[in-house]
Amino acid sequence: MNISVPHDKRANKLKSTRIAGKLVNDYWQMVWRAKEEGKLICWYEGSAINPFLEAADICWVHGEAYSAMLAARHQEVKAQQAAEERGYMKELCSYARTHLGCAVSNQRTRNDTDTGIAFGPEDDDLSAKLPPPDMIISAYAYCSTGQQWDEMTSRVFGKKIPIFNVSLPWIWGAKKDAGYLRGQEWEETSRYVERQLYDMVKFIEERTGKPYPWDRLRAMMADIRRASELRLEAMELCTNTPAPASFFDWVVSIAPINNLPVDGVVQYFETVLAEVKARVAAGEGAVPTEKYRLFFDGIMNWNKVGWLAEKFARYDANVVAGRYTHMAFWQEPSLINPQDPVLGMAQNYLICPNNHASPILIDLIMGLCEKFKVDGMVIHASRTCRAFTNPQFLIADAAHKRLGLQTSMFEGDVTDESFYKDELLNSRVEAMFEAIDSRRLLV
Amino acid sequence: MDSQQILGIFAAAANDPLGYARAWKDRTGRPVIGSFPMNFPGELAHAAGTLPMILQESPDPITVGHGLLFPFYCGYTRSMVDQAARGDFDVLDAIMFGDHCVQLLGAADAIRVQLTQTRVIFFQLISSMCDPWTQGRSEESFAALRAELEDLLGAPVPDAALHDSIRLFNRNRVLIRKLYDMRKTGKAPLRAAEMQHVVKSSMIMDKAEHTALLEQLVAFHEQAAPQAQPGMRLHLSGHFCQAPKPEILSMIEDCGAIIVGDDLYHGFRYISTDVPEIGDPIAGLARWYLDRNTGVPCPTRVQNNVDWDAYLLDAIAEERADGMIVLMAKFCEPHMYYYPEVKEAFEARGVPHLLIETEHESMALEGLKTRVETFVEIIRRRAAAA
Repeated sequence: MNISVPHDKRANKLKSTRIAGKLVNDYWQMVWRAKEEGKLICWYEGSAINPFLEAADICWVHGEAYSAMLAARHQEVKAQQAAEERGYMKELCSYARTHLGCAVSNQRTRNDTDTGIAFGPEDDDLSAKLPPPDMIISAYAYCSTGQQWDEMTSRVFGKKIPIFNVSLPWIWGAKKDAGYLRGQEWEETSRYVERQLYDMVKFIEERTGKPYPWDRLRAMMADIRRASELRLEAMELCTNTPAPASFFDWVVSIAPINNLPVDGVVQYFETVLAEVKARVAAGEGAVPTEKYRLFFDGIMNWNKVGWLAEKFARYDANVVAGRYTHMAFWQEPSLINPQDPVLGMAQNYLICPNNHASPILIDLIMGLCEKFKVDGMVIHASRTCRAFTNPQFLIADAAHKRLGLQTSMFEGDVTDESFYKDELLNSRVEAMFEAIDSRRLLV
Repeated sequence: MDSQQILGIFAAAANDPLGYARAWKDRTGRPVIGSFPMNFPGELAHAAGTLPMILQESPDPITVGHGLLFPFYCGYTRSMVDQAARGDFDVLDAIMFGDHCVQLLGAADAIRVQLTQTRVIFFQLISSMCDPWTQGRSEESFAALRAELEDLLGAPVPDAALHDSIRLFNRNRVLIRKLYDMRKTGKAPLRAAEMQHVVKSSMIMDKAEHTALLEQLVAFHEQAAPQAQPGMRLHLSGHFCQAPKPEILSMIEDCGAIIVGDDLYHGFRYISTDVPEIGDPIAGLARWYLDRNTGVPCPTRVQNNVDWDAYLLDAIAEERADGMIVLMAKFCEPHMYYYPEVKEAFEARGVPHLLIETEHESMALEGLKTRVETFVEIIRRRAAAA
């Protein structure tokens, strides 16, 4: 049973993030035209190595981003069906399954066209529009699935596509000097990844046949560093009550910082920051009535971004921060030296929101919960993303014991809508809100 | 001691690994070091004077572990966490591992929180196997694990001791491979569950004790005459970290199949490759790590220049197997990724195969039996029609 919630309460989304929609569209149009324009195309997963590629005039396709885009547009099913037809099972990472489905469709179309026995894909089938790669780079932190996904992609294309693997070790943090961004393990691992990135650049040079344009990369990383600073400044302003933006606004802003062309990213976050500042000055919040402030643990449910934003707004709940948005995506700009950016890039790749073992990870999350003054934590147990679900029971336990926070877990997935259970979410978050209310009465 | 007595000792250790470890510790007063599958070299811990044992999935249902890891994880990782939370791992002085399957990392994190008095040591092994730096990085990883071990025990692990352990482990592997060879010819008609006990107990028992028993078992079968083996010859594939339940193996054989080969981790995969016995032992362990993936390719690694599907087809031809049963542990991501490659290769070659997804919790054996019986019948009819 669900408590009655008024449906006239709408999320007050940032207006400036609408620009992201256009930027995303422009970017994917560019990708879909890339073959016709004679560009080399690189498929990659995981870490944001796209500046390395963009600087070298290589068209970059982030697998998760393509799957997320399909899911956000509710066009993921054809790709997932193509994957399942080949034998990829439903319990596999749905990012990978969707993206591999695109690869399978691509190969099938090519082979069918060769034999002349089948029709090509429908024009509006985005899963079939993804152009095939000329190279693959795998640079996945924490999750073993990433490297296997890339390997299987290579095999779908008959192992004819050159592939380069960057290995990003997990920060286990067991030594006495271990901590966030410090200790022998951190230093050695950073250097190890840095060395591999230089080798990756040689791989890129072999593909392009040109010397690598380091000056362009330096300029781009200067922009990314600035954009990241602006993004973090805007996020920081959400410590205000009411918070001027929500976790869902920051979800919408992932693409600009993570995988869109670098040109324009600073301007985008300047615009966002200006709006956030204006809202703080006006006392305007991201939900009409901010009764509850929540932390969101887990990866995004890309089929449900708007749906969840509206749902929480109806409950007067402002989701003010999250592990996915607030602990990733060039999260440590101060580590980036634009004149010598590779080490700082390696280090940012190593601090994806899963790549530290739980003692460090949980300390960071508890710090965010305190900083953003949250009342509770909503935890998205994404069925096929074990990288995110791994520490969630430990996180919930720490939130409860250390901070006395109420937590609520719901089931869903990154891009497979069939795992999402709306009624469970309703019941559980309503119970959480009741518990928060009861506690407030006692106080 | 006759062969059945030896197999009985192996079965006892396989069925109660932690009980064996406790008894060993009581007897010797030396530390026990558990490791997660599949690539931590037990030789390192053995050379340090400890009992290295590969931690095994328990047949017990998951209880308190449900509060630490979601039910959509493989049975091995859930069982590991459950055993830790129940206090079953008290016998362990440390846990060491280098593999980084994402589910295993989640389990390791949860276990470290549970076992506050047990050191959990991790140094990630590179899983990209054909990079120019794979050998060097593997050497760094094994050297780091050795240093951690020395720090834990407060004593160096000398090269000479490591060489001795490598030789002993190699001898153990050679003997088990002899059993595999004799199984193909019918000289060692071991049932699949018995073979599993041989390999699984090797992961658990004191290696010298295990090897001495193996010497006797191999000698017994070497003297035996080959026996005719009626039934469809099958290869068993898959099941990485955890052993398939013996009742499944028996059910397959009861359906009229004989298992003539496998690439199970609790099978040929574990003993497929020896460590070089000369030269720097850490470099040798790194070489072994690389060689075992070219010997028996594993979907938990990535290596563009070897193919598991091609290996399986070759193995089946060499074993004169009539088909293959794939045992896939539910939620095992590496296996799920690779399975379509195997399926397509087998279909293209016209080699029959059957996929069975296994679960930690009880499975409907009768339903599986019908599928296996049908599979065996299809192979039989196909052979008759040929």
